[in-house]
Amino acid sequence: MLVCFLLATVVSVGDARNPLPNRIDTLIAAGFPDFTKVAAPPADDAEFCRRVYLDLTGTIPTAAEVRSFLADKNPKKRTALINSLLNTPGFIRRLMWFLDVTLMERRADAKVPRAAWESYLQTAVTENRPYNVLVRDLLSNDGSDPKTRAAAKFFLDRDLEPNLVTRDLSRIFLGRNLQCAQCHDHPSVIDYKQEEYYGIQAFVNRSFLFPNAQAPTAIIAEKAEGDVTFVSVFDKAKKSYTVTPKMPGMKAATEEKPEKGKEYKVAPAANVRPIPLYSRREQLAGAITSRDNPAFARTAVNRVWSMMLGRGLVNVLDWDHSANPPSHPELLDLLAAEFVSHNYDVKWLVSQIAYTQTYQRSSEVPATLTDVPADRYLVAIMKPLSPEQFAFAISQAGGQPNGNGALGPFRSMFGARPGEAQDGLTATLDQTLFLKYGGTVRSLIAGRPALLAKLTTDDAIAEELFLSVLSRLPTADEKRDVIDALKSAKDRNAALAELTWALVASAEFRFNH
Amino acid sequence: MQRCTYSCNTADHGLSRRAFLGASTAAALGPSGFANAYANAELAKTQKRVLVIFLAGGASQLETWDPKPNTDTGGPFKAIPTSVPGTHIGELLPYTAKQMHRLAIVRGLNSVSDDHGIGEKIMLTGRKPEPAVEYPHIGAVAAKLLGNSAASALPGHIQILPKGSSGFGKADATFLGPKFGSVSLGDGKPPADLLRPANMTAESDAAREDFRRKLNDRFAKSRKSAATDAYAESFEQAERVVKQGEVFDIEKEDPKVADRYGRHDLGRHFLLARRLLEAGVTYVKVSHSNYDTHHENFDFHIEQLGEFDRPFAALMDDLAARGMLETTLVIVMSEMGRTPKINANYGRDHWSRAWSVALGGCGIKGGAVVGKTNANGTVVTDREVYSGHLFHTYLQAVGLDSSKSFHPNDRPIPIADPKTAAISEILA
Repeated sequence: MLVCFLLATVVSVGDARNPLPNRIDTLIAAGFPDFTKVAAPPADDAEFCRRVYLDLTGTIPTAAEVRSFLADKNPKKRTALINSLLNTPGFIRRLMWFLDVTLMERRADAKVPRAAWESYLQTAVTENRPYNVLVRDLLSNDGSDPKTRAAAKFFLDRDLEPNLVTRDLSRIFLGRNLQCAQCHDHPSVIDYKQEEYYGIQAFVNRSFLFPNAQAPTAIIAEKAEGDVTFVSVFDKAKKSYTVTPKMPGMKAATEEKPEKGKEYKVAPAANVRPIPLYSRREQLAGAITSRDNPAFARTAVNRVWSMMLGRGLVNVLDWDHSANPPSHPELLDLLAAEFVSHNYDVKWLVSQIAYTQTYQRSSEVPATLTDVPADRYLVAIMKPLSPEQFAFAISQAGGQPNGNGALGPFRSMFGARPGEAQDGLTATLDQTLFLKYGGTVRSLIAGRPALLAKLTTDDAIAEELFLSVLSRLPTADEKRDVIDALKSAKDRNAALAELTWALVASAEFRFNH
Repeated sequence: MQRCTYSCNTADHGLSRRAFLGASTAAALGPSGFANAYANAELAKTQKRVLVIFLAGGASQLETWDPKPNTDTGGPFKAIPTSVPGTHIGELLPYTAKQMHRLAIVRGLNSVSDDHGIGEKIMLTGRKPEPAVEYPHIGAVAAKLLGNSAASALPGHIQILPKGSSGFGKADATFLGPKFGSVSLGDGKPPADLLRPANMTAESDAAREDFRRKLNDRFAKSRKSAATDAYAESFEQAERVVKQGEVFDIEKEDPKVADRYGRHDLGRHFLLARRLLEAGVTYVKVSHSNYDTHHENFDFHIEQLGEFDRPFAALMDDLAARGMLETTLVIVMSEMGRTPKINANYGRDHWSRAWSVALGGCGIKGGAVVGKTNANGTVVTDREVYSGHLFHTYLQAVGLDSSKSFHPNDRPIPIADPKTAAISEILA
């Protein structure tokens, strides 16, 4: 509370004369000596255009969209483009991918099918459901109503396994990887206590899947009794502790103790799903999303920031503790406070970040800059395309805006291991061969040569090729290379296919730069 | 009390992926990054490699390495003398018997599980499965710790399967990262994308690569990062692999050599394995199927071992003749053994409590026999070992310190089960 109060006075939350994007830029600039002198200049229009299409709609712009943006004389055209992209179906798709991967981490769809889950996310994103409301919904649904069951995916597809659920609740919503605190206080992170781990687990330890975890239609049931006790493996005396439900840093939930004999609404019996009078699990959603739990908003804004900027203010995303402080602590506090006061509005948060100079900076390293510390945001960080962005971008480069058909192969080829965070670039042999010789990529870009061949001059072909694939005009050298390649080609169509592939397989295409 | 089941051990922060990528790129390229004509000779002397021959389904120890003739469990076959005085093996392995001076036998293995899947995991990871720790397979461990030779761009972890599709697996490398996952060669065929599509000419392929390189060079002038470099480099590596593609083609082999291995599936697969090892692949596993003889155990072993025996001996001879045996650890294992008790269908069932593994080559004392079972093979009576002991032994045989740990995300995970140790009696 004190922190919120101080923030409210010092950085003047809601001060219209100093919009949030400016305050973000000020705090970023304060993070490095002579920031404005050494930082990279703003991205040029084409670089900005490609970046914002990828970040806000999940795909690259068409050649026509790039041309129209480059030709636009409106001095506020960047803001206008951001605002218009935020209201496209592409933004809904992009945010669905973000939420899906954040919440489910590419786990196999087990008890909630993909289609039902995507339809659930689509509704939530389309109505711009506040993030806290979404998370409350996910953590309170018990899966028993077929109409709303999809919301229970977070628990159901983790089989409600207590250690897995504890680990992921703390990582995904609190930014704290408490996994090592399962057996003892974390050996190297003094903030991560075993007691906290079991405090979280106590919310779910009475819950289980009914009739059993193997049933694809299983629903969540709960007992009225059962306490969480733990012993540290480091403790030679083997002292045992009992904890009640508690979020780290918050007060323990007040427990109702029903009279003896009246603990259940539906008492346990053979083939009966028990329902307790007092449910510990029902306290979880409220406790996690509570305004008294600063970790919730802090973790959410850090994840959105990372999606847009390619690096969390707290980096790694689930490693928030005092010995790993945020790169810009005041900025993280500001974003969290603003996110709360804007009703946990993710779309709004994305827009505010997109408006900043920080986001719109070039990724080209200035010649004067020899050392580029990634956590200072002096130069835009190049983000490897997510599997979804990559699938859509290659489809678009081939002239096919809808990349849905390519999602499956790209997810299985480029997605992180189930249950692991997607982090950085992997470039394994199978991935490269998939791009080099694989049938999927070949057929996705097969349409481009014919589209290019309709143009009358090689000059126009070179421009259209670069605009369609790399979302920019070719340099003079590049244009000459294309024209030369076409002039010397025995088979023009084959040459166009070679050129298209080369652009798609370039490092420039692989990254959102 | 809570057991420390998984927390301290899983690879969790994705950071590891990046870290391993960096490490493995360097390892895969070696100092020069390109193959040279003298590399193979040099390689044969120095590069440590591992060959696992996996008798899938669970070969019978009583018909192979630990015969018990003339007992209630022994079955109809005799034990025959071998090239090691005093050591006998089953009569279905006459050619292998002449190789025993190159092989050690571990006869006191207890692998704990009678389940095919779990048993295979136990044998390949050297651990009992734990709820949420996935340990990497020996192939991934070898590929990571031994590295490929500088001469080879080929993947370090290859498995040749009797049939089925070819492709890239990632799961068996677990926290070591996808680079060390297995490449499967169904019936010895390379994954489809490893070969240039039929309708693309070499010139066309070269032209598009040239253009891609040009674009990357321009891009790297002002936007270079470790990730963009790794991405660009991955195409160079892929090209080198494609150039080494002939290694998968056993038609390139001298027909006389191919004859010695035998003109059938397992013979071809062994020959391919030798070609891959010779080309610098760190780890090759060849599976021979199927030894799951619940019915007619004896007839099936006549058939299966009849296929195995001669090509295996040819392979051992060939490795020795090429000077590769000193640097190549050869392991013959299954996911389990078979029951001493003969069931009503003349079969033997699943059995993990007392069975055998044979190994030889790099770092192994040929002719050594360690561990004993009782007269009819139902109990280990001397020097019982677990898969963990074997895992330590494999690593030490190829010169690695098996007491070290991996550190995914700075969390120590012992490479081999610290509750076990190497079987020093068979280490050279």
